[in-house]
Amino acid sequence: MVEEHTTATGLPIEEAVIEAKEAQRHQVKNDRWTRLLDHFRREWQIYAMLLPTIVWFVVFLYKPMYGLQIAFKDYSIFRGVANSPWVGFEHFETLFSNDQFLRAVSNTIKISALNLLFGFPAPIILALMFNEILNATYKRAAQTIVYLPHFISSVIIAGIVITAFSPTAGIVNTVIGWFGLDPVYFLTQPEWFRPIFVGTGIWQEAGFGSIVFLAAIAGVSPSLYESAVVDGANRWQMMWKITIPSILPTILIMLIIRIGNIMEVSFELIILLYQPATYETADVVNTWVYRQGLQSGQYDLAAAAGLFNAVVAFALVMTANSLSRRYSRTSLW
Amino acid sequence: MRNLSLVAALLAGSAMTTPVLADGHLQIVDGDPLELTIQMNHRAYPIYEEDWPVEQKARELTNVHLVDVTVGANMRTDSENTGRTEALNLMLASGEVPDIVGSSRIRDFVNQYGPEGAFIPLNDLIEEHAPNIKAYYDQRPDIAAAVKAADGQMYYIPYLPDGKYGRAYWVRTDWLNNLGLEVPQTVEEFEAVLRAFKTQDPNGNGEADEIPFFARQWPELIRLVTLWDGRAHGSDTYHDFLVEDGKVSHGYFGEGYREGIKNLARWYAEGLIDPEVFTRGSSARDFLFSENLGGATHDWFASTGGYNSLSSEIEGFELKAMAPPASISGKRVEEHRRILVKPDGWAIGHTNEHPVETIKYFDFWFTEEGRRLANFGVEGMHYDMVDGKPIFKQEFLDAGPVNRSLYQNGAQLQGRGYFQDYNYEIQWTNEFALEGIALYDEGDYLIPDFLGVAFDPEEQKIYDKYWGSVRDYMLERQQAWILGSGDVEAEWDDYLAQLDSLGLQEVLGVMQSAYERQYGG
Repeated sequence: MVEEHTTATGLPIEEAVIEAKEAQRHQVKNDRWTRLLDHFRREWQIYAMLLPTIVWFVVFLYKPMYGLQIAFKDYSIFRGVANSPWVGFEHFETLFSNDQFLRAVSNTIKISALNLLFGFPAPIILALMFNEILNATYKRAAQTIVYLPHFISSVIIAGIVITAFSPTAGIVNTVIGWFGLDPVYFLTQPEWFRPIFVGTGIWQEAGFGSIVFLAAIAGVSPSLYESAVVDGANRWQMMWKITIPSILPTILIMLIIRIGNIMEVSFELIILLYQPATYETADVVNTWVYRQGLQSGQYDLAAAAGLFNAVVAFALVMTANSLSRRYSRTSLW
Repeated sequence: MRNLSLVAALLAGSAMTTPVLADGHLQIVDGDPLELTIQMNHRAYPIYEEDWPVEQKARELTNVHLVDVTVGANMRTDSENTGRTEALNLMLASGEVPDIVGSSRIRDFVNQYGPEGAFIPLNDLIEEHAPNIKAYYDQRPDIAAAVKAADGQMYYIPYLPDGKYGRAYWVRTDWLNNLGLEVPQTVEEFEAVLRAFKTQDPNGNGEADEIPFFARQWPELIRLVTLWDGRAHGSDTYHDFLVEDGKVSHGYFGEGYREGIKNLARWYAEGLIDPEVFTRGSSARDFLFSENLGGATHDWFASTGGYNSLSSEIEGFELKAMAPPASISGKRVEEHRRILVKPDGWAIGHTNEHPVETIKYFDFWFTEEGRRLANFGVEGMHYDMVDGKPIFKQEFLDAGPVNRSLYQNGAQLQGRGYFQDYNYEIQWTNEFALEGIALYDEGDYLIPDFLGVAFDPEEQKIYDKYWGSVRDYMLERQQAWILGSGDVEAEWDDYLAQLDSLGLQEVLGVMQSAYERQYGG
């Protein structure tokens, strides 16, 4: 191992040098821009590493914003974004005078609320449970098993769900049959769609979602637990008094992000599972946009719906963020 | 070798009595070959290659070389054809329209963007430079009307299917024999047969696991409303409009439809219809026939007849087409037929500098040689002329699914405007399908289908605004009624009122005005 060069004050030599240079510069020049330039010159490697992310953001997230204007235009692909005539808020009026769009908005919120209520705590509980497993081999095996569904494509998940809930051959109806009950054609009954969809989502994502919480738990200082043991705390008390409060910032950040995604339910799975018979509860904004906007080529209307989604999501994130900042001093920004 | 077969083809062509151009006149340009770029997306087979034997032959005969510049995925073969539409949109969004654009589902696309200037109008070009296409349209003014855009111009040359028959009623005739039943002739008898399939264990395994009626595509189930004098789909597009006495209408609000849905709900409740009909999907036919569970369906002649090969695995398996059972008023109706003109074909891009040569090239495919090339492939390679008729070589027929082989050689491309020749299919259609077709031909059960309309921008706006919601609501109630979570009788008046409030009358209004403009009322 290379011997560390340290100064008398215990600082590594490099840092001490930087400190010294910084101090000198401060005396010579107080100009902000020069300092910034020097800063870049010194730290350019770090900025170089940041560059791909920035390029990605600009190319895939900021540049497309130019096209958002088609939400206010009578868009024709041939005429292009710039040459299509303006129509003001016509597309928004169409949206909000359409009962099915409003129903889709309400369905989106309901499905997301259910997801939040049942789907958000699931990975936290799972992480806490993993944390209590002592046998390392068993722990790793259990984790791998619950991570797996995350890597299965939605198409296959939908196939599994359709088969599992089939009225003639499905496992669910077979079990129901043991109790002498009639089979239920779950996937055509509106009242069953949301439970099945949310349940599938939890099954698929809870394991993978628990990773971030496990990481947070791993970051809790062991000394806290050690002193708790000395004080005679049991595992249950340690979980409530130490683990959960320690990972609370992570939980809140994840919650804020989750709230920001409230308008985005995984619509590819819905498209694969829904039927006209279940539109009543299953049709969400994105599936509605897909049917009305993209399948029939109404990109301008689809853009308007997308913009509406984004505005709602932005408002929700801002609200959640400021609430969180006020009550827990944890926030995204 | 190549020159030899060219001469042979030309000789064969001129030997016929049809008005074929004299030798050498198939050449569109002299000297250096003319290169034209092409975007080609077609439904049945996901690639396009300039070097397919059919394309090479066409190149040789016309001296026009197509250069493939296709953008966008041509990979998805879903029934809604969204892959093709996406590819077309992508092409247009990229700002470059190739000289020729060929695609499935191209009609609405060119009829929308043609008038905006993306495609060259073809009326005058056809009139002056395309004698064979013109001759076809002179014979079929209805089809000429159907392909026009709202401004009266044609913007694409369509793929014109041949042969009338598409789908038929199929029943397990060996099951009928097992139970001592006759082929049902009326809706009442049909119901009795389905009930017997359900309750009398025709497959003999001791369990009531038979699925009396099923459908690969659930809208085929809705077609059964024709048994109660209703209407479902006005064309081979599901949930399409229809025309009654010069009025554009729709099946889903007629009295017969209501009666039909009421009875289908009853059949469903009694287990005569596949309980999973809405979710079983495209593999239903494979699964239910090969597991010896399915009793009757409504499906394509050729492919369904092919399931009789299962008789080697399932003792006595026999599946035959039956005539449509007579409806409650005694009418026998087969609602599905091959449509006369597909929304598929090709168009000329606005930047094409050789529109005259291009329309001549399009016209080439309507000549005797061109049509044969498009249908049967290359003479000597895929077929031989026997008594003046193209007959596929046996080794070509044996090489695997014939349609697929044809696509792989560049024949039967639906992104190409050509007139299909049903003889290409008869040569390899199985006996059960041919027997069924003969039965349907004798009975004359087909009804006219709706060929569609082209909207002007104002009409398009109204249609886009209302139709999606109306259609969604129709389908939602339709499924709910059949599944028994709603009652069609009790809800009918509310249903009609709701359709009106969603804008059904506005949609019918623009359909009607477009229809009258297009077909002269």
